[in-house]
Amino acid sequence: MIVMVWNGYRYVMSGKLKTGLKRIAAVFSISGPQVDADVLEESFRNHYRGFRALLTANNSALDLMAGMERALTRGRPFGMAFVRGQCTALTVNVYKMIHSLQEISDGKYQGLTPALEEISGKIEEILARQPEVPPGEYVVSLSQISKEDADAVGEKMANLGEVHNRAGFEIPAGFAITAAASQYFMHSTGLQDEINRLLKTVDLENLEELYTTSARIQHLISVAPLPDDLERRIMENYRALSSGDGINPLISMRSSATEEDGSGASFAGQYRTQLNISEDSIIETYKEIVASKYGSQAIIYRHQRGFRHQDVIMCVGCMVMVDAVVSGVMFSRSPQDPDSSMVEINAAPGLGRRVVEGITDTDFYQLFREDPTEVSHRGPGKVGSHLTPEKQRELAGIAISLEEHFGVPQDIEWSIVESGKVTILQSRPLAQLSQDDKSPARQEEVRSGDLLVAGGLSASRGTAFGEIFEVRSNVDLLEFPKGAVLVVKHPMPEWASLMNRASAVVSETGHAATHLAIVAREFGVPAIFGLKNAMKHLENGAVVTVDADSCRVYRGRREDVLARSVPPPNLMVGSPIYHILEEIMTLVIPLNLTDPSSPYFKPSQCRSLHDLTRFCHEKAVDKMFTFGKMSGFAAKSAKQLVGESPFQWWVLDLDDGFREGYDVKQKYVSWDDIVCEPMKAIWAGMIRKPWQGPPPVSVKGFGSVLFRSTMNPSLDPAVRASLGNRNFFLISRNFCNLSMRLGYHFTLAEAYLGDMLTENYVSFQFKGGAADRSRRFTRVYLLRDILERYGFRVEVKLDALTARIEKKPREYLIERLKVLGYLLIHTRQIDMAMGDQNMVDRYRRRITGDLDEIVKPNPIEGE
Amino acid sequence: MEASEKIRVLLVDDETDYLEITAKRLTRRGYDVVTAADCMTGLALIADSRIDVVVLDMMLPDMDGNDCLREIRKDDHSIGVIMLTGHASVHTGLTCLENGANDYCLKPVPLDELVEKIEIVYRDMKYGEKTS
Repeated sequence: MIVMVWNGYRYVMSGKLKTGLKRIAAVFSISGPQVDADVLEESFRNHYRGFRALLTANNSALDLMAGMERALTRGRPFGMAFVRGQCTALTVNVYKMIHSLQEISDGKYQGLTPALEEISGKIEEILARQPEVPPGEYVVSLSQISKEDADAVGEKMANLGEVHNRAGFEIPAGFAITAAASQYFMHSTGLQDEINRLLKTVDLENLEELYTTSARIQHLISVAPLPDDLERRIMENYRALSSGDGINPLISMRSSATEEDGSGASFAGQYRTQLNISEDSIIETYKEIVASKYGSQAIIYRHQRGFRHQDVIMCVGCMVMVDAVVSGVMFSRSPQDPDSSMVEINAAPGLGRRVVEGITDTDFYQLFREDPTEVSHRGPGKVGSHLTPEKQRELAGIAISLEEHFGVPQDIEWSIVESGKVTILQSRPLAQLSQDDKSPARQEEVRSGDLLVAGGLSASRGTAFGEIFEVRSNVDLLEFPKGAVLVVKHPMPEWASLMNRASAVVSETGHAATHLAIVAREFGVPAIFGLKNAMKHLENGAVVTVDADSCRVYRGRREDVLARSVPPPNLMVGSPIYHILEEIMTLVIPLNLTDPSSPYFKPSQCRSLHDLTRFCHEKAVDKMFTFGKMSGFAAKSAKQLVGESPFQWWVLDLDDGFREGYDVKQKYVSWDDIVCEPMKAIWAGMIRKPWQGPPPVSVKGFGSVLFRSTMNPSLDPAVRASLGNRNFFLISRNFCNLSMRLGYHFTLAEAYLGDMLTENYVSFQFKGGAADRSRRFTRVYLLRDILERYGFRVEVKLDALTARIEKKPREYLIERLKVLGYLLIHTRQIDMAMGDQNMVDRYRRRITGDLDEIVKPNPIEGE
Repeated sequence: MEASEKIRVLLVDDETDYLEITAKRLTRRGYDVVTAADCMTGLALIADSRIDVVVLDMMLPDMDGNDCLREIRKDDHSIGVIMLTGHASVHTGLTCLENGANDYCLKPVPLDELVEKIEIVYRDMKYGEKTS
């Protein structure tokens, strides 16, 4: 390490500069450092190159962080590939920043690399975490299952076991093939690795490719041999179901995936259920149901709802077939109205499958929860033709009991056998509209010729607009355009894969209890079901407005109807992938290093990737500014700006920020010498309106300043002079970094206006003030409101504000720089006047009035 | 731009379709593009001719992308190197940079993004050589 004393300052040179040490040492003479200008120029160039690389990486890192935050709030689906990709790109950029800073600061900040390693290690640990599969039996009898066993036997079977073993209702005899069995099958055959490989490359937007991959995976599973011991266990349990007469019964086999229902995602109708399975096809059917996890609609559904494939493990429930006379679905409350005091029952003769698939017309009963006597009946059958009033009451009683037992409204499948006994086949949480979406439907004016068709019932409320697209087969499904209105004959569960593409659904049959209705409500897609002759009235390609509140379809676009549409729900919230990203964000976003003058502003205090970027950026700017002074290099020393200004400014030219021909040996620089576009824009904002001096300060406001000075030694007025001298611009032709440390304020503005849109940005940081906390906070909020008005993305933490815009054209950013210039001058010291709301309002009005005058209206504003 | 002033890009990737298409598209964008389907061919091209930026796939038949990168860096610190990978990993990303890569990005890279990365890497690598 070389310690150099120059002009009374001590400088330490090592690391990178050491590499050129011999060359530099050669030009230092005993009489004083006569440094060779070429050597210094070259050294400066290297520094500047590192600085620029650091800024580029900083820009990318902040952009990536913003993208990750947006993913959490916007509700658009994202997968692990996104999370992993963002984390990798972000870490890579932070590494680049550290590398660049080390290069230009002679390896001074050794603590940064361990800090990054620690944070990135924790991120990797979160990314690699896998769901745990409880070890245990491959097959478990339903009589031994309760809701705590959801991880072992899937949600559906765990709930069904609970219905019988704890709530005391009848269910069919049967057993569950567990998650452990499924894992054993998939891993012992090596299938899982092959499937993961196939899924990694599949493009979910390309439905054709997805269908092919899905079919291939399902085929692989169906032809793989089941391990002998597993097959034996299944068959033993099956034979145990036979009644005393030795006849082996037919069974139903139902998918029961882990994570289904329990996590707020219904997975309704996504996986296979097979009825009337005889002994010889049990194993084949088991594999088929396990394979249905990779059905194309299930793959899309998981992606939409934020599930990794490994989060879902397929268990299978095997139950003796119920000889049903009448079956149906009931809700302990209305799915359309969370406050409803009614139980709703759908019933149809025979097995319940036709009800959930919406193929058959059903009887519909509504009963008061308090006094379950039938209050309404609608359907093709005569009143009471399928359910006697006693049975209606019995069913309603069961629905209410199960809601009480599980603690949330239930969606229940049931059957009644010849003897009249009610058997429960499934009970799961009811997918309901949220309280906010429940506003009463308004009846819009029907203009003649506008109304195409009306009727049916609302299966999922809301309004939407789009082109009609009829789907009759899987081939049509592949052609379905984004944003179209899906029109179908029956609401089959397989159409659920279109819920991320369709703007609305219209079906000729069906009701609110169908699987498709459940998924439509989940996705916030308006749906009218049971609309007779819909396909006759709605022509393919016609543009329509669907009002699922009043069950009408209008010709063309009806703005008055669409005004009621609500934004789609955020389907990612609470999902496994959402949780993973949320946890990672605690290592990314929190900014602990806000005050560069604090003794805690050091590498060991960096606890997030944001801290690391903040630290690197601050130190790099510092380094560039002091380069010339350190080395006594006149060309790269800061020049004092000559011209009218309320403050003294120093300007350091990084590259080509001064005009050609400017004499670098001068100590001063004037406006005519500066060719830096962003600096000129900030300056234009600064001087456009004369500063009216400090605001009138109340005794209290001034008192608070004195109080802060007493309490915080670093704010002692005696040291203010040294802070006050640090107003500087670092510039090149396209780049400008402005730092102001005025008394108690710290402000930083930075901008790059280049040819590549992606590199362009304006950023702004503001912290401090002399007044007490509440006044400083009031000012920061005022600043936030103003900056947001001009398109900045603003974050406020205590009295620190950061604002940023990126990837906008040069002209747009120039206007934003003027805003910053204006604010730099006109909002300092107003914190002291922020105790009085009238004064705050007055300032707000004046500032916005001035800015409207200064800033050119921009055509892309509001984009 | 004269041919000699064009940025010369070497693409190293064993997926020949990808290699061919990317080379064509980059050529259309004004780059002078050479290709190699394996590391050894790539290294030979670097030794024999001027290359400004290498776009190097992580998985190559004859050598791991990181080993190839280390080979390049043994002799040359002025070439820009962008590593490409199909599978994102924080650890691999950091390892690449520690071994001297200028950037690391995920496949499939949109062409605009690749062009941007090439431009930035080239600019950063060449800046120091500029004479005032």
